[in-house]
Amino acid sequence: MLASRACSGGRFFYIENCIRFLSPKALPQREFWQAGAELVGEGGVEADGEVIALALECLERAGLAGAKVDLGSIPVFRKTVEQFKITNYEGLRRAVSTKSIGDLRGIATEERAMEVLAYMMEERGGPDLLAKLTEMGVRGLEEDMRYFEELFDVLKSYGYASNVRIDLSTLREMKYYNGIVFEIFLEGIGLPIGGGGRYDAMMKEFGLDVSAAGFAVSVDLLVKAAEGISYGRSPPLQIYYAEGYRERAIGLARRLRGKGMSCTVSRYRGEREGILVDRTIIDLRSGKVLEGQL
Amino acid sequence: MRGLILAVPNKGRLRGPTMELLERANIRPLDDDRIYLSNTTLEGVQLLSIRAADIPIYVYYGIADLGITGKDVVAESGLEVYELADTGFGDCNLVVAVKSDSKYWDPSVLPQGTKVATEFPNLTKQFFNDLGIQVEIITLRGAVEIAPILGLADCVVDLSSTGRTLERNGLRAIGTILRSTAKLICNKVAYKTRHEQIKMLENLLVRNK
Repeated sequence: MLASRACSGGRFFYIENCIRFLSPKALPQREFWQAGAELVGEGGVEADGEVIALALECLERAGLAGAKVDLGSIPVFRKTVEQFKITNYEGLRRAVSTKSIGDLRGIATEERAMEVLAYMMEERGGPDLLAKLTEMGVRGLEEDMRYFEELFDVLKSYGYASNVRIDLSTLREMKYYNGIVFEIFLEGIGLPIGGGGRYDAMMKEFGLDVSAAGFAVSVDLLVKAAEGISYGRSPPLQIYYAEGYRERAIGLARRLRGKGMSCTVSRYRGEREGILVDRTIIDLRSGKVLEGQL
Repeated sequence: MRGLILAVPNKGRLRGPTMELLERANIRPLDDDRIYLSNTTLEGVQLLSIRAADIPIYVYYGIADLGITGKDVVAESGLEVYELADTGFGDCNLVVAVKSDSKYWDPSVLPQGTKVATEFPNLTKQFFNDLGIQVEIITLRGAVEIAPILGLADCVVDLSSTGRTLERNGLRAIGTILRSTAKLICNKVAYKTRHEQIKMLENLLVRNK
């Protein structure tokens, strides 16, 4: 869908049901709702910053302020893997993303590789993590470090720098990511609520030589996280009418809806909440006459 | 904010050493052991006593923040949880075993269509897939060792720590799928949102091991 519309790039969003093969472990359902946005045709740090900021802003608008983002980097991970000549890429990805020192031992045999990878798994923080890795002997990270510094600058402009941290063990399962990757989480929700990253390489698979980055959030988790948020919306006003006053009640409901108030209209059967349209208009709970006030 | 919930095995071979580990960290349940969720002598920490094999599920969904359970069941569940530390106990191997008089000496030479009885269908399937051998998996809930003698299966994939149970049932291990010990596992989001509390409990448990 994206590839067919994205020839010249653009900004897209979707709220769709997704169908994916998931092996029947703990999550047996194969269809789920996902909401996401993609920025196609623009690369670089500005675009990555925009995507992350948009994800956080969307959550904030949904009443879920304070979401946190952990950033990882596929290039940094790859450079480390290549430098230490580790061949079991998938095994290593799994060991690092589960922070399992035990599994790491079976994959990285060199002492220095162990030290570097353990550091990547343990520490979370700012761009200085990369300086430390350089100090530990990982080569060629200068560009990545500048990139992260700039990214934090961009995020600062959006007002989200303090929500974001680098955790180099963040490696998304999807193999198409080739730049930064990130996961979004909220206190009290046990699974990451969403995530995303840069996937320029995937667009090439569709014959498009364009940059792309995006994010998605799980609608199910979003709903769960939003439980208990009232969104300031009050229940609809119940308007009842006495015999012969239906037309007047419907007219009143129309006028109130026009002002943005939601209401329902039905025949009066002795209810004690809402308002009654009779010769005059009465608040059923207090018994006060409201004529002229609505 | 609620306290931390630590899931521990309610029975089985890991129960004893887990409770000893907690004892050494001065964490004792306040309720009797029929209560699944119990407060402890450590303020802000609750113990959830459930089946060892269910612990990865509770931790994955964040119902429990942390758990102590075998690497074998974590791997079998296939769920992504952080493995913060090795507890140093619960050592055992997940092995492929055949009847003692079998002509097969290595899993890679087992024929296509071999019937394998196991409590670990996912790991078994993955292991034989990697060897390029299609096997028929018979999932059992225990006493797996008896299956070959009675003719239910050609071989078993089962846990073995000393090899004695295998031997007693006329079986011989011909390969190891996984080496397992009990791990301290952690929910991914809890690790990030409640890092200090979790690190505190981790230090308390692992430093005292």
